[in-house]
Amino acid sequence: MIRSARSSARSTRGRPPWWVLALFLAPALLLYSLFIVYPLVSALQYSLFTWQGTRPLGFAGLDNFTRLFSGVYGDRLWRAFGHNMVFFAGTMLVQTTFGLAFAVLLRRARWGRRFLQTAYVLPHLVSPIVVGYLWSLMLSPQFGAVNAALRAVGLDALAQPWTGDPALALPTLILVNAWQWIGFPMLLFSAALAGIPPEYEEAARVDGATAWRAFRHVTLPLLTPAIGIVTVLTFVGNMNILDLVYAMQGSQGAPAGATDVLGLLFYRTAFNNPDPGAIGQASALAVVMFLFIFGVSILATGYLRRKEAGLR
Amino acid sequence: MPENRPVILAACAAALALTATTACAPSTGGGGEGDEATVTVWSWRPEDAAGYKKIFAAFEEANPGITVEFKGHKNTEYPTILQTGLSQESGGPDVVQLKPYGPVQAFIEADQLVPLDDKVDLLEWPEETVDAARGKGDGKLYGVPFAVQTFSVLYNEKIFAEHDIEEPKTWDDMVSAAKRLKKADVIPFATSGKEPWVLAIMRETLGATRAGGNGFAQEVLKGEKDFTDPDYTASLKTIADLEPYLPPDSTAVSYTDAQTLFTSGKAAMYPGGGYELAPFRAADPDLKIGSFDAPPAPGAVIDHPLTPGFADGSYGVNAASGNKEAATKLVEWMATKEFGSAFSKELGQISAVPGVTPDDPLLAKMQADYADHGTPYMQGVYFGYGDPMGRDAEGAALASMLLGDASEKEAGEQIQKEISAWFKPEE
Repeated sequence: MIRSARSSARSTRGRPPWWVLALFLAPALLLYSLFIVYPLVSALQYSLFTWQGTRPLGFAGLDNFTRLFSGVYGDRLWRAFGHNMVFFAGTMLVQTTFGLAFAVLLRRARWGRRFLQTAYVLPHLVSPIVVGYLWSLMLSPQFGAVNAALRAVGLDALAQPWTGDPALALPTLILVNAWQWIGFPMLLFSAALAGIPPEYEEAARVDGATAWRAFRHVTLPLLTPAIGIVTVLTFVGNMNILDLVYAMQGSQGAPAGATDVLGLLFYRTAFNNPDPGAIGQASALAVVMFLFIFGVSILATGYLRRKEAGLR
Repeated sequence: MPENRPVILAACAAALALTATTACAPSTGGGGEGDEATVTVWSWRPEDAAGYKKIFAAFEEANPGITVEFKGHKNTEYPTILQTGLSQESGGPDVVQLKPYGPVQAFIEADQLVPLDDKVDLLEWPEETVDAARGKGDGKLYGVPFAVQTFSVLYNEKIFAEHDIEEPKTWDDMVSAAKRLKKADVIPFATSGKEPWVLAIMRETLGATRAGGNGFAQEVLKGEKDFTDPDYTASLKTIADLEPYLPPDSTAVSYTDAQTLFTSGKAAMYPGGGYELAPFRAADPDLKIGSFDAPPAPGAVIDHPLTPGFADGSYGVNAASGNKEAATKLVEWMATKEFGSAFSKELGQISAVPGVTPDDPLLAKMQADYADHGTPYMQGVYFGYGDPMGRDAEGAALASMLLGDASEKEAGEQIQKEISAWFKPEE
């Protein structure tokens, strides 16, 4: 009795009054509302109006949305969506897999761990626009270092039009993107690995498991939460990708739209569009993208939670 | 915490005001009426700042009390910046550089520009130039065009001389010259297959005669023909047939790569606009550039060369400007020969003001050719008013043809499908 009364007294005494809490929460809440919530809500509002330049004319109902999905606009939307999905699948395959491999190998590294960790994360510090520009210089068929190097060692057959062939352009973008961001899954996996007691794997090894089996059946399942987070964050990042594609393939997603993604489509619809109704169109696209990304992220997070609960 | 709401709102407003005032340089200067006024001019060409300073000095001298401030923005960010700038209640620009034809319409429709019909008289100016600044809906004038761009085949005079090539008079001459250059390891035509707008300009430059020039454009506008027309699709094929003479892997060649191929002497010809001369000469001051109009393509509807051209944009007055009087004065002055001559001299371009001849002999030749056998650049002048723009649809279809993924018939059908999503012929 006495103890519980004392502890509850302590907890109320320890908690600052509401106005202090509000004071400390207000700046973050304010900025969040101003720069995240307000634009989101206004995009939803804009998408329901017909526009004449920057002036709303009247309520449009779902007209902007039906136009988005019809005729050539629908073709463009689905094509861009398909490219985003390929981008996500390719990134998971390359960036996440190698990120995990690097994290595992670095954990075992005897020397150079710090250096390599920094080296892999370093491209993060460069703007994607700059990365895109540098890589398009290197991949240029006439002046680029990549093809020149391949030809110099006699691999002429491998000197390809990396950014100009519809079959190669998207995979090339995925690789360049992975080059820049590979440090991110690596860091998350490193942190998760550090949280797994080495005794688990040692015990498995003592029982006669090979290194691969110990990793596959002991370590990997314990990484499920980290894999889940990386998957969701990669998904969100890839669905919204714009800057790198813009820097390397232009606003039209060259060649002939083979690298057009939703971000580029939005950019063109909003800012490269002579149609006076552009704001309504672009807002509708933004709302659709948001709902899709948000919805999938919620579902995926829920699914991963249940999976995690199953691990315990 | 309902008591807190006003506080949050007030802080919100304060933050908004703060970002608004710091982000944009105010141009309210002296308040407008007479005495002292600062006119802020926004442009997408920061590289012209020094030139404009000299140009506007003459205006400032003739109009004491008015100071003109030129503010160049990054080309790629300009559309976004202008959209916000014109929507501002105050602190926005007074005079704005406007993209021609289609892209200016959104601002006109939103009443963000001042109609200039009773202020400037452009009756002497060619229709297709003035159309660049006219409202599609109301036919009113909202800007004074500043430059005319013409397309032709630019060539490296030194390379032509080395290979004993003269300006071709027929298409066959041009193709056999291309063959000879290719054999000598020189890329005959530099172009960027990665940028749809560059390909569209290439088609206009080399293929306008095949499609039928302005006659074809007018027939499409009236609904008598469309982009599946065999003469038009044949003009697409004219370009695709030149593929062996383009840079290898042309769809991977960026715009800057194409420019560099020409200025570095790796490529002999460059189908493009007069606006390329200044950057080309900046890249290599010793480069001797010549220019010829493409001879009529095989099977051409028009039996003589054409010089396609268009107005590059205009200067208009922001309807929300606090300095409308001074701003209008400046824009009125931009329609005079005094401005035209200074513009042409300082910035090395063809002024849109009739009767102004550029000092540069090559530009003067382009201007004379345009006056003699000019034709409006079809996709820019007539089919840039909707989404997707004609030049983007045409350029993407041409890229597919260069990749071997589409026949000219399929390309024509694709272009027609995309443009007809918004374009309806006149009844």
